[in-house]
Amino acid sequence: MASKPNVARLYSCFANGTESTVSMIEVSISPGIPTFSVIGLCDSSIRESQGRLKSAFKSSGFSMPKGHITIGISPAYMRKAGSSFDLPMALGILFASGQLYLPSDAKIYAEGELSLNGELKGTPGACIRLKTVRNMDFDYKIIPSCEASSAGIACFRGQSINSLSEVTYLFDGNGYAESEFPYQINTQENGLIDISALKGQEKTKRALLICAAGFHNILLMGSPGSGKTMAGKILSGIMPKLSPEELSDVYSMNELVSGDASLISDERPVRIIGPNITTGKLIGNAASLTPGELALANHGILFADELPLYKTEVLDFLRKPLEERRVQLVKRGNMYSFDSNFIFLGTGNPCKCGLLYEKGNKCRCNEAEIKRYLSKITGPFLERIDIFSEMRSISGADMASIYTDEDKGESHNYKEIVERCWRTERARYGDGYLNATFPDTDIKDSMRISEKALKFASELSEKEFFSARGFTRTLRVARTIADIKEAEDVTVEDISEAVQYRKRGV
Amino acid sequence: MITNSDIRYADLFYSAVVLNTGFNYKVLRDLTDNKAIVSYRDLYDRELINRILKGEFDVSRDSISHIQRIEDSYGKVIKIVNNYARIASENNIEVVSCLDESYPYNWKVLSGMPRVFYTKGNYELINQMTLSGSAAVVGSRNPSRYAQYATEKMCKELGDKGITVISGLAAGIDRQAHLSSVNTKGGTIAVLAGGVDNIYPASNKDIYDLIAAKGLIISEMPPGQQPIRQYFPSRNRLIAGLSDCTMIMEAGEVSGTLHTASFAANQGKEVFVLPNNIYYNNALGGLKLLEDGGNVLLSPDNVIDSISRALIYKRMGMGCSAELLFAEDDGQKNGPDVEALRELAKVKPEVLTDDNWKVIITDALSLRPLCADELCTITMLPFYKISGLLTELELNGTVCQEKGKYSLTFV
Repeated sequence: MASKPNVARLYSCFANGTESTVSMIEVSISPGIPTFSVIGLCDSSIRESQGRLKSAFKSSGFSMPKGHITIGISPAYMRKAGSSFDLPMALGILFASGQLYLPSDAKIYAEGELSLNGELKGTPGACIRLKTVRNMDFDYKIIPSCEASSAGIACFRGQSINSLSEVTYLFDGNGYAESEFPYQINTQENGLIDISALKGQEKTKRALLICAAGFHNILLMGSPGSGKTMAGKILSGIMPKLSPEELSDVYSMNELVSGDASLISDERPVRIIGPNITTGKLIGNAASLTPGELALANHGILFADELPLYKTEVLDFLRKPLEERRVQLVKRGNMYSFDSNFIFLGTGNPCKCGLLYEKGNKCRCNEAEIKRYLSKITGPFLERIDIFSEMRSISGADMASIYTDEDKGESHNYKEIVERCWRTERARYGDGYLNATFPDTDIKDSMRISEKALKFASELSEKEFFSARGFTRTLRVARTIADIKEAEDVTVEDISEAVQYRKRGV
Repeated sequence: MITNSDIRYADLFYSAVVLNTGFNYKVLRDLTDNKAIVSYRDLYDRELINRILKGEFDVSRDSISHIQRIEDSYGKVIKIVNNYARIASENNIEVVSCLDESYPYNWKVLSGMPRVFYTKGNYELINQMTLSGSAAVVGSRNPSRYAQYATEKMCKELGDKGITVISGLAAGIDRQAHLSSVNTKGGTIAVLAGGVDNIYPASNKDIYDLIAAKGLIISEMPPGQQPIRQYFPSRNRLIAGLSDCTMIMEAGEVSGTLHTASFAANQGKEVFVLPNNIYYNNALGGLKLLEDGGNVLLSPDNVIDSISRALIYKRMGMGCSAELLFAEDDGQKNGPDVEALRELAKVKPEVLTDDNWKVIITDALSLRPLCADELCTITMLPFYKISGLLTELELNGTVCQEKGKYSLTFV
């Protein structure tokens, strides 16, 4: 039997939304009638651990010590939840009861949920937790094996174990070896459509390019079957791959929702929402602090299909996140926020029959019907859309050539342009800002808009081509157009092109 | 510089005589009726004057006394004429006489129009104006926003249709009328009260220069003459006489604008009055004109109809068989051939200018409204190129966007 300290001390971590806090777990065992109490504002998922621990000990060849067991989790004033405290609590009991040898002055970090047979399981939010502790000074860092890919993405170094029984080897001499966790990115491009499929829709192709190059919100309106939904898939195909930091942001969000390590991909996330979505689903669950669709679309695309069918309240709610690029949740008086920096891609029909933009006069809706149909999308919401493009059915000849043409590499060329633009934009603003996301201050100088172009733009806004907010939005789009053609300054031509993408009237 | 052997010298001499010796048209008529002189230019013939004074012709005693006055102040008049000639050559001022071919037709058919007048700028406008019509636009010197706005809109539209806008280079409505029409196809003519070289008011120097460069400035007063109060009604008479119809944009109860209107009415030309608020004092003069039977100015079309009627009569009088048509579209009538441009676009698109492309686009839109993608297919231009052109066309009002398609504003 090894030495038997009064109190064993370990460290673990818990996450509230995207904020995580390191906590200290202390275990004390004193003689008396056997009791088990966990203190420190823990919810029942932590208190229930008694059963898991008891059974896991038994399966792994340990035993639950007799006596008063008190487990304190600090900081004691913060509410905590989650089963990832199972492993540190188990280790603490083993150390305190002398079943395991605790090296003196060793700082131990551990997390993981125990199953009844002693196996270790991952818990949601691993990536966020591991990012917090990766640079802290711990002697032992132990995580469940199934969190390995999360650890890899979080650049965390430590040791992973499969079951509780493995811990015996860790603390006797040379059993512990810290290592990095390699992770595999799924490079398989699944279901991406080449932009050449948008044959004969030159405006939409150009609009998609500008949208991707400057991270602008876009609205595509057009006939049924004109390829609006397809445009959404095309858009993610011409965007640059996720950078490692972005990848870990995206991954940790996904992990908060699904818990286990889902497929890691460096493609930008595309979250597709439909007209029946509620604001709750968009923001996320405040009680469990799980992110909603807005946060899951961070760094990617929020694709809202059939926009005119949405409830007005839902669209109006979207206005704030679109402006601030973050969503806020309130839980017990505390504000939690998730980044939601995405491209909003909306699609919809322009009228009830959907044929308003068709060649000739196919639309049979009367003016009042068209107005009523489109009035669902409110003016203030439309103002936040930088780029608008109409779409119409592809003509027969073009349709055939989509399937026969060998020219499939067009998306690749577009992607290169977009990547180049992102580099110039990031170099210009720093902090990873792009043309559409750069804060409103001092746009004129930082975006290098010539006096002449500015004057031209104000002339246009005077002729009611757009409003005050539309004015700065148009300047941003013009900046992207200038970036696409690698120009230093924004010129009058750029502005006059940008104006064509503003939605005005019906 | 006009020398004393020049035929124009006699014109200047006549102007000086009229201004300085009290010589008037009654005396001139008496002299010509009695075959003493053939035209006013003969007054410069000092020999002939002396023969009249000797009583060789049968003219009235009143005329003799006028001729005597010319003879008495001959030296002084010659000095004045030389001064005119100097100012005229320094300021590029041309002299036009009623004996010239190019004398405005509208004045030729009226009596009491100046025999000699002075011009600066593009005289070709007079001929163009005779063939495609002109409108006088006059009004208050401190107009309301409304009148100013209407002036801007209407003058621009008339000018684009090839109709020349005539006004008096005063502040307010006059200024706006010149400004909106000077760069259009119809151009603009300013009629001054003083000499052509005298800018009045001085604040209009900018548009004076603009009109001198692109339009035409005319005056019946010889160069160097200061504009004084009594000249203004006479100037208004010239404005009314020169144009085919008159538009009163805003006029108070006591206003020079009303002079112009009554001159026009007396010359048998239609007067249009912009309707305005009855509680607005500065518009009462114009409203009273409406009460007296003036035409209501609802849109430029009213004016265009009136001018086309006037033009038909004018052509009949002139015996001119040229086509009577208003320009509908810039590119199609005067610009290069659309067919040729389209062919060129297929073979060598890089040589076409933006204006050429605009002609092709407007031509394509003249059939039916098209969407941006269809325009891309027709012109074979990338969208980023076409979008800039479309914005320009939208800005100048040629093209408008509706239901996702572009169409011509005036079909």
